Amino acid sequence: MVEDAPLDPAASAALIAEQRAKVEAAMDVDARVLFGAWGVAWLVGFTVLWLRDLEPPVLRMSQQAGMMVFAALLFAAGAVTAGHLTVKGRGLRGASARQGAMYGWSWSLSFAVVWALAFALARAGASDEVIGVAMMITSLLVVGALYMAGGALWEERIQWALGAWICVATIAAALVGLPHMYLVMAVGGGGGLLAGAVADGVRRRRARMV
Amino acid sequence: MGEDALDPVIHTQTRLRIMTTLTALPDGDRLTFTKLQSLLDASAGNLSTHLRRLEDAGYVQVVKGHQGRIPSTQIGATRAGRRAFEDYVTHLRTLLTPPTDPTEAQEER
Repeated sequence: MVEDAPLDPAASAALIAEQRAKVEAAMDVDARVLFGAWGVAWLVGFTVLWLRDLEPPVLRMSQQAGMMVFAALLFAAGAVTAGHLTVKGRGLRGASARQGAMYGWSWSLSFAVVWALAFALARAGASDEVIGVAMMITSLLVVGALYMAGGALWEERIQWALGAWICVATIAAALVGLPHMYLVMAVGGGGGLLAGAVADGVRRRRARMV
Repeated sequence: MGEDALDPVIHTQTRLRIMTTLTALPDGDRLTFTKLQSLLDASAGNLSTHLRRLEDAGYVQVVKGHQGRIPSTQIGATRAGRRAFEDYVTHLRTLLTPPTDPTEAQEER
């Protein structure tokens, strides 16, 4: 039987604190990374779409090219998210892992519905503009709703507030209409996500000081 | 009341680290053996020995599972283990805070 060196109470307390910090660092999902990645993607992506859609356009590119840039940014943010969650969740099994998997599938399936809507609208003869607006608003609905649901279930206030804020910004964008709805989402949506990343940073610093 | 008798099942470096790690997870969560090993910097043999002791005491549950075709062992803290760890921490705290006997404190004034 392998026995360790004897511990005194102070050494035990230090060991507990050290090990807790180690586990936290290894497994804690960092909202700053996730909100930050999506914030940058939205801020840059929606700004590109806005500059392209202005009359006269500031950025000269086809609508396809604009959507490609936006899609590439979203894909990159998605890759950052998937990578981060994979690293942090590695080796974790049981309740949280199941919960996370179900939540992950909720995102994927919901966005599959957004694509199905675009397909159905195209088949029904909708114009590119109608399809673009419908996809943008339903995508934002999915993000806002799932953030609020996730925030409520995990009792993460920042995440819930961010979801609520994205819904409000989306309503504002819908009322504003093209082309400035893109600017509303760049500043409101992208800016909101970046503010969420900062808020999480502040929360972490406060938690560390307690 | 057994002042110095910290739970001997937990009160060793490796087992204290194991219990700290497993109780840091929400109830119902488990870690793979490999993950636990990486979080502890322990050798597989050493870890197995200590896990057996904790399992015998009913503090951890070792689940032999499969991930695809590769066997994977998963370890989680049991309810009893969580309670024992909480008691250990409480006991530790009383040992670390100097005793404040109310009668003594009054005499000093």
